[in-house]
Amino acid sequence: MTRVLGWLAALGLLAGLAAGFGYAPREVVQGNVQRIMYLHVPSVLTAYLAFGLVLLGSIAYLATRRPGWDRLAGSAGEIGVLFTGLTIVSGSIWGKPTWGTWWTWDARLTSTAVLFFIYVGYLMLRSLIEDPDTRARYAAVVGILGAVNIPIVHFSVKWWRALHQPSTLLGPGPSPIDPAIGLALFVNWIAFTLLFAYFLSRRMEIARLEEQT
Amino acid sequence: MPANWSYVIAAYGIAAVALLGYWRRLASRRRALTARRAPNARPT
Repeated sequence: MTRVLGWLAALGLLAGLAAGFGYAPREVVQGNVQRIMYLHVPSVLTAYLAFGLVLLGSIAYLATRRPGWDRLAGSAGEIGVLFTGLTIVSGSIWGKPTWGTWWTWDARLTSTAVLFFIYVGYLMLRSLIEDPDTRARYAAVVGILGAVNIPIVHFSVKWWRALHQPSTLLGPGPSPIDPAIGLALFVNWIAFTLLFAYFLSRRMEIARLEEQT
Repeated sequence: MPANWSYVIAAYGIAAVALLGYWRRLASRRRALTARRAPNARPT
């Protein structure tokens, strides 16, 4: 199953590249640099998914005390940090030619950086505690508290005046995106979700092996 | 608006390095754990 997911993710990423660079048109205002969106937006959506699973695994662990839920939360947290890092880096690179700066303390950027450091702290906490039950319990509490920042990141562009544009995909009302650009974005989002599922499957297997050795 | 391909290449290049690096890290970690388990699995 994991191998199949890996191949599907690889094919999805190739299709995503073809859609983003071959099928989608050059954006009129920003030019080719807008193609970073096919990396940036799927990365943040994947990070949301990962941290959502951290929340689910954390709540389920505290309710059932089954180690499988803790494995899910810990594994998803690690992958979520990876994709949040990609979101920040790709956004920064996109920001330089469009906003004229690599970084600004805008509400969306700042809350995303906070999200990143919360889950880096979550992973550090997991690595510092040796006793599996204590680690899982403490991590679950942080995993639940950390999830509070996810809606703050998402709605920050609505709640505060921000340089970052408002949500176009998960915003209210129909999306204003050109259908060809929207399709390329959708293909890349599916590819990133498949890649996340593949990484999660591999990481959870490793966590299970770590518990047995 | 200039083409700005260098920014696009930088973003995708960094992403490729990060994702491939993580994939390789998972693979090597799994190999190490499997190798560590293998002697324990044999009957003594």
